[in-house]
Amino acid sequence: MFSELFERTFDNCSALHFPSVREWKLADPGRKVIAYFPVYAPVELIHAAGMLPVGLSGAGDRLDIQHADARFGSFICSIVKTTLEMGLAGHLEPFDGFLFSTICDSARNLCFVMKRNFPQMYVDFLHLPHNPSSPAAAQFLAEEYRRILTELERLGGEVDDGALHRSIALYNGNRALIRELYQLRSRSPQQVPTSELYQLIRLGNFLPVEQHTALLEATLAEFQSRNTKPRDSIRIVVEGSFCEQPPLTLIRLVEDAGCYIVDDDFVIGQSWFESDVPTEGDPLLTLAKSYLDRSVYSSVRHDFRKPRWDGLVDKVRRNQAGAVLFLIAKFCEPAYFDYVPYKQELDRAGIPHLQLEFEEKSFTFDRLRTEIETFVESLVFD
Amino acid sequence: MKTAMDEKKEYRGSIHQRQKDLMLAWYDQLDQAANSGNPPTVSMMISGNCVELLEGFGAVPLYPEVNALQLAIRHQSLDPILAAEDLGYAADNCAYVKADIGCILKGITPTGAKLPTPTLILCNFVGCNTYLKWFEHLAKLQQAPLYVIDVPFMRADEPSRSDIEYVVKQLQETVKKLEQLSGRKFDYDRFRQAVARSSRTEELWSQIKHLARRSPSPFDAYFDAITLMGPLYVYRARPEGVEFFEAALAELQAKADAHKGVYEQEHFRLVMEGPPPYPYFRAFRDMFAKWQACAVASTYSTVGGLWEFGFRHDPDHPFESVAMHMIAQNVTNRNFLQRYEQIRRYVEEWNADGVIIHFVKSCRLFSAGQGDMRDYFTKQLGIPTLYIESDLEDPRYFAEAQTKNRIDAFFEAMEYSKATASVRSYREGSA
Amino acid sequence: MRIAAGVDVGSTQTKAVIMSDNGGVKIAARALVDTGANVQRAAERAFDACCQEAGVHSGDVGFVVGTGYGRYKIAFGNVQMTEITCHAKGASFLCPGIRTVIDMGGQDSKAISVGPNGEVVDFVMNDKCAAGTGRFLENSAEVMGISLDEVGPLSLKAQHPVKIATVCTVFVESDILSYLAQGKTGEDILGGVHIAIAKRTLSLARRLTIEPEIAMTGGVARNVGMVRALEAVIGRKMLVSPDAQFIGAVGAALFALEKLDQSFESSIWRGEHAAPGGH
Repeated sequence: MFSELFERTFDNCSALHFPSVREWKLADPGRKVIAYFPVYAPVELIHAAGMLPVGLSGAGDRLDIQHADARFGSFICSIVKTTLEMGLAGHLEPFDGFLFSTICDSARNLCFVMKRNFPQMYVDFLHLPHNPSSPAAAQFLAEEYRRILTELERLGGEVDDGALHRSIALYNGNRALIRELYQLRSRSPQQVPTSELYQLIRLGNFLPVEQHTALLEATLAEFQSRNTKPRDSIRIVVEGSFCEQPPLTLIRLVEDAGCYIVDDDFVIGQSWFESDVPTEGDPLLTLAKSYLDRSVYSSVRHDFRKPRWDGLVDKVRRNQAGAVLFLIAKFCEPAYFDYVPYKQELDRAGIPHLQLEFEEKSFTFDRLRTEIETFVESLVFD
Repeated sequence: MKTAMDEKKEYRGSIHQRQKDLMLAWYDQLDQAANSGNPPTVSMMISGNCVELLEGFGAVPLYPEVNALQLAIRHQSLDPILAAEDLGYAADNCAYVKADIGCILKGITPTGAKLPTPTLILCNFVGCNTYLKWFEHLAKLQQAPLYVIDVPFMRADEPSRSDIEYVVKQLQETVKKLEQLSGRKFDYDRFRQAVARSSRTEELWSQIKHLARRSPSPFDAYFDAITLMGPLYVYRARPEGVEFFEAALAELQAKADAHKGVYEQEHFRLVMEGPPPYPYFRAFRDMFAKWQACAVASTYSTVGGLWEFGFRHDPDHPFESVAMHMIAQNVTNRNFLQRYEQIRRYVEEWNADGVIIHFVKSCRLFSAGQGDMRDYFTKQLGIPTLYIESDLEDPRYFAEAQTKNRIDAFFEAMEYSKATASVRSYREGSA
Repeated sequence: MRIAAGVDVGSTQTKAVIMSDNGGVKIAARALVDTGANVQRAAERAFDACCQEAGVHSGDVGFVVGTGYGRYKIAFGNVQMTEITCHAKGASFLCPGIRTVIDMGGQDSKAISVGPNGEVVDFVMNDKCAAGTGRFLENSAEVMGISLDEVGPLSLKAQHPVKIATVCTVFVESDILSYLAQGKTGEDILGGVHIAIAKRTLSLARRLTIEPEIAMTGGVARNVGMVRALEAVIGRKMLVSPDAQFIGAVGAALFALEKLDQSFESSIWRGEHAAPGGH
């Protein structure tokens, strides 16, 4: 019953005409909505300006690409094309702005192609720092956030520090709940199926944070109250540099094949900070410093002070996982690159792993199912 | 009937040989550094490179991209690519990276000269995310220290004060880092002199680029420019660089003044977008030579710096101008729409007949969205545009017959429209 | 009376057309042979058969233009030109008033924007993969155990065309088998296959500005199911000439005739000879 509720809510929110977004706008005309492309966005800025931040992750299998592949050819990931296709097909009409950031070369070019094709929309590019070792980085990022905020203020009205602190506090609360849910799943995965948790987290991309937090609280209670018997599944970490999202069926398939997903980076932008962002001081500076020093490791973030492959090994050990499943979106260059050092370090640490490719629009999974089942068998009968 | 096949198809003057000598001398220096540990060497990316800073230490640049392209030109890129794929790199990873990493795995180098483990792996991040991953992997593989100069992307028309300050501070941090690692003190005067020399080299290169506005152009601004580019990123700030470009300009100026073009008759003037298929450089050039089509401008030749629109390094503001170059004056850190504008300017001011967009599988920075670029030029501006595809480094992705077919069809159409236009004007003239 | 010929050497079939200009340009004869392994021989056979059909001597033919994938091997040809240029020319002649040509061949597909005189204004090609080409249909037919001639008419009978996710000819085979196992009818599967190819082709053509009238050419134009599917996704009827297969050869012959006519000087004839050492 619970999973049905999720699916209905989830389908409703992510449907191509974005009914939940339209409803939100209708409830108070004049309110604005800002879309952001994965992985991380400083949603507090958007929220503080009285606007709704919506995380877009392509159109999955809901949209046939009819125009976008004339603009983006072969060897480009699907999410870039479905995002453009949504725009060209008119589905992005409820959005007033679109925020991109430095995640990869294809997405960056997409930002400017969108700018050209939707000149009436506010389209911006956020430069997130790739040298957090520099003492100058915090100042730079704070000023970059100031620049974005000024543009948002043009659309939504003036924002003062108080508003920013309140937004930060709200999102801190949201992130804390997500951390709790993830910890619960790691302790007792039988109570928290990933196919449910995944939808719950992704709803955070569409719902106002206040609503999402309430939903998280309710669901956490529900999960805690469950009495499910644990199965004899292997504990795995899923790593995929996710920007393009896997079909829900694929996640179910992994669980049905005998895995408990005890940690993942599916929608990692939702829980980007490892601990609360301070709510005193210059809010833009605290957000900037948090980005530099408090962020989780990710393929789209570069910090040569601590290699992200160490982060993966830590994650496996912390969650007492037995293996890693790499789920890589077809043509995702950052994921392909990171796979090499990830693989090397996992081999060194003696942690088994499997690499699979997927596309957001896949709807047949026979091959993938076979591979995962074979992998699980090889681990169980070791 | 004499055909284009009989035409001399390559520019070869004395500076072509001089360019080769300079590049070999550079590999010699690297070989020396590998054997003796001196001078210090710094790995960098070509785009937005800060070679002037290295001059302040007497350090020599190492360019993994140049290694990659040298391998491809010598038809040696496939083996290292395969070695990298064995290690786990994907078919769809940038083949430049695979070739370079593969070389290190196999212990080979393009010229046979030894390459040193760099004193510092300096990733000048200018837009290309692949650069970041590449240098992270090199640091891991070569066990050398890594520093990333984070250069803010051109998301507005001009860099902000904040952008410039951020880069300047990181340049100063790089100086401190290099002092620690090399044991040498940064010589600020040498640095300033290097910046002054760059300024001079850039002026010469800009004048060379502007010679292509003449009709006929004395050189091909794609194929020949790429050949001449090497000294620009290795020797830009050195006396040899200045001398080289002085000689190059003199030679090309003489050709231009004598109305000598690349071909007997310059039939078509083109703007080229995208890197070349290095493993098939010559064959690719022949496909355009057949039609006596000369490139008068190219975006790829501005990877190492965009000098034709007036920007120069400034020895009076050395750190700031180095930062400016890294942020705004190289093609990779400029946004996609700015590239459209760059090409449009070339078509207009260099008086070109059409645009060739060469999509390369490896490079998403150049290629992702080139379909939209094509849309802009054909539908919005009505400029004849040809879209072809292959790869810059991997020899497995070049379909010779299909590429030739597309190029021939493009020029057949252009030739027809030129012929009918001239017949029309002849008829109108004689009416 | 001037007589000229065009020879189009395709990867599977070679076509020859002789055109005459005697008070109006018209097609005097056409011939078609399988290309086989020897491209040169195929060109000769097609040309000879065409001359016979026209009742002329090969020596009477004033000029020969070769086109198609094997155009460099036509020893008796005077000049060669790309099939893109020849298709535009031929389609304009056979379907007057067209501004867009969609060509679906055995190995590749293309879309051409055509000017008022049959000149190429712009073109896009899919020459790297089988999606959207005759090869895709052949593979599908083989997997289903049906002859290629049947696929078109069968697809028209689809009641609920299936969803085909991929246009990769390698993966679609397993999708088709999967649907067959699920009990889907051949008609529905083929309906889905045709729609998928049509959408893919339209996607390619959209890189141009698609202007009416639209002509469909190439071997796949004989597939009535493909014509209907493409018309359905474009939302417009297309012109399909009964001579759809010969369009490249017709265009080549027209260029050959123009050369004889000498009514305009074009340096287009500076181009490569058809074969090394050709006259």
